[in-house]
Amino acid sequence: MSTTENASGAESSAITAGLHPSSGESVAPAPRRGVGWALLASELSVLFRRRRTIALLAALAAIPILIAVAIRLSSSTRAGRGPAFLDQITQNGLFVGVAALVVAIPLFLPLTIGVVAGDTIAGEASHGTLRYLLMAPAGRARLLLVKFAGAAAFCVAAALTVVVAGTLIGALLFPVGPVPLLSGDTVSVGEALLRFLAIAAFVAISMLGMSAIGLFFSTLTSVPVGAMATTIAFAVASQILDALPQVAWLHPWLFSHQWLGFADLLRQPISWQTFGDNAVLQAGYVVVFGALALARFLTKDVLS
Amino acid sequence: MTRRWTKWVPALAIPAVVIVGAVMVPLQAGAAGDLPDKTPQQLLEFAASSKVDALSGTLEQTSNLGLPDLSSITSSMSGSGASGASGEDVSQALDLVTGSHTARVFIDGSDARMQVMDQLAERDIVASPDGVWFYDSDKQSAVHLTGSAQKKAADLTAPTPQTIANSVLGKIGDTARVTVGKDGSVAGRPAYKLVVTPKDADTLIGFISLSIDADTGLALAAQVNAKGSSDPAFKLAFTQVTLAAPDASLFDFTPPAGTDVTEKALPASGGSGEHAKGERAAGIATVGTGWSTVAVVPAAQVPADVLSSPMLKSVTTAVTGGRLISTALVNVLIADDGRVLVGSVTPDRLLAAAAGS
Repeated sequence: MSTTENASGAESSAITAGLHPSSGESVAPAPRRGVGWALLASELSVLFRRRRTIALLAALAAIPILIAVAIRLSSSTRAGRGPAFLDQITQNGLFVGVAALVVAIPLFLPLTIGVVAGDTIAGEASHGTLRYLLMAPAGRARLLLVKFAGAAAFCVAAALTVVVAGTLIGALLFPVGPVPLLSGDTVSVGEALLRFLAIAAFVAISMLGMSAIGLFFSTLTSVPVGAMATTIAFAVASQILDALPQVAWLHPWLFSHQWLGFADLLRQPISWQTFGDNAVLQAGYVVVFGALALARFLTKDVLS
Repeated sequence: MTRRWTKWVPALAIPAVVIVGAVMVPLQAGAAGDLPDKTPQQLLEFAASSKVDALSGTLEQTSNLGLPDLSSITSSMSGSGASGASGEDVSQALDLVTGSHTARVFIDGSDARMQVMDQLAERDIVASPDGVWFYDSDKQSAVHLTGSAQKKAADLTAPTPQTIANSVLGKIGDTARVTVGKDGSVAGRPAYKLVVTPKDADTLIGFISLSIDADTGLALAAQVNAKGSSDPAFKLAFTQVTLAAPDASLFDFTPPAGTDVTEKALPASGGSGEHAKGERAAGIATVGTGWSTVAVVPAAQVPADVLSSPMLKSVTTAVTGGRLISTALVNVLIADDGRVLVGSVTPDRLLAAAAGS
């Protein structure tokens, strides 16, 4: 991380901190709620204006673009080779986004989520801005909630980036037509796009559990890299465990278990079962690690 | 200090509540209902009188046959030229028997569709009086069978608990002891449990339990335990089921553009089901009756590349007269003369059958 970025991050957070006391109508009738929303708004604008966030999203957008360009330049791909959906791209460009998700979900997407979620509290602490944020009358619990909302917003942005960039580059480089589903039925382009949006929602929800884990680790340390690395290591470990048949009993409990379950949205009729199961699983992780993060953050001595 | 400590209480209590809830809810779901008692005979008649001809549901199949993963044997052959197709067929069949699967089933009268949901892929069987489609999204290939018009389409899809129940109920006669087990709940529906214990000493089957829907008599789950084992070796159960006619458009299948389609015509004279048809076509003979029936596949029908695979050698054990693949429920003997004998019977019984015929 460059010094300029550090500087800008610190500066924007400082602005954030400075903003709250002055932003509310100083003798406001309901100042606390207003403070929460203002805090969220400034958190989102700081997060998405950050150069690092933009770079992470650009890297995610590069995945479908690389895939599409590589396939366009190479000769025909044989059915059944490579990651799922890759062989269908030449016939229908709309598959680029889905193929990119299959490629990105095991490592690249969790990597970006880990960076953002691990930075939430530890980043502010390392910049020395955490105590300024806590001066705002929002309270620690609300600050934590706002930080988690920011991480969740990044999950949505990350999933949408891959899907939208993939769909656009696919439409640009390859023919577009009615989309064949896994079940062998074919749906119109409009319905396919709706399903891709549902897939983006599925993937965003899939990453919420990991975001909560990252938030918790972020409250434990004031070294953001440590929280990021631990979160990403957790994601990798979870996927390794998920691949071991010896611990099959554990599989339904792993937060990465349903990550590729978005394929159920490409069946006819759509199977919402996995969507629901995944949402419940991720909600469980959010509640558990959210509670741990809250307890840790409420009892933490904030020295920086 | 105490105030700090209390702030950790929710952090510990919430995970505890979530975990206890996550463990308890599935247990509750399978809890026994209290159904009016039925004698075994009444339950048999009730099951036999079931008239459900439209449903959609999700099936879950688990197999624990004590068999090593054979997919590597067969997939290594799938690329081997002209004989590859047979290897692939064997691979698919083995996969369906040995693995765990989730499938959706849609049945409406003479139309049926089964979707085996693999990760990022799907295998479909769409059967209607006009013909049967087999579609594999991974290979982007489809097979279209026509000419089987007289056959009931549902018989052509992979087994459901009901087809297993039908074949078990047809076999019972006085060859098995029938008891009624503890009432339970399958896919959220209260169900009776019918336990069939074969009397035959030679069979490997310990008992078969069928969950019979208390409302309609439909079989909701089938489970086979090997002799002396309390864990099921094979289980097929609905996890979700709706007894309403599915959307008719599901049975109207057209493979997507770019699919590799193979057209196959079946001989018009069909048997009573796929199994009977398969036996007739392949010249498979049977030895014995009832639970200890042994199927004998003539040497000519056995794909040579399967037998010559070195991996197959590693999962078989040498016995006098051939090589044996032993699983919890089924034994397979590859006789020295190339015949393959299959049955839910002890190895001795298989060897006797090989020597006898």
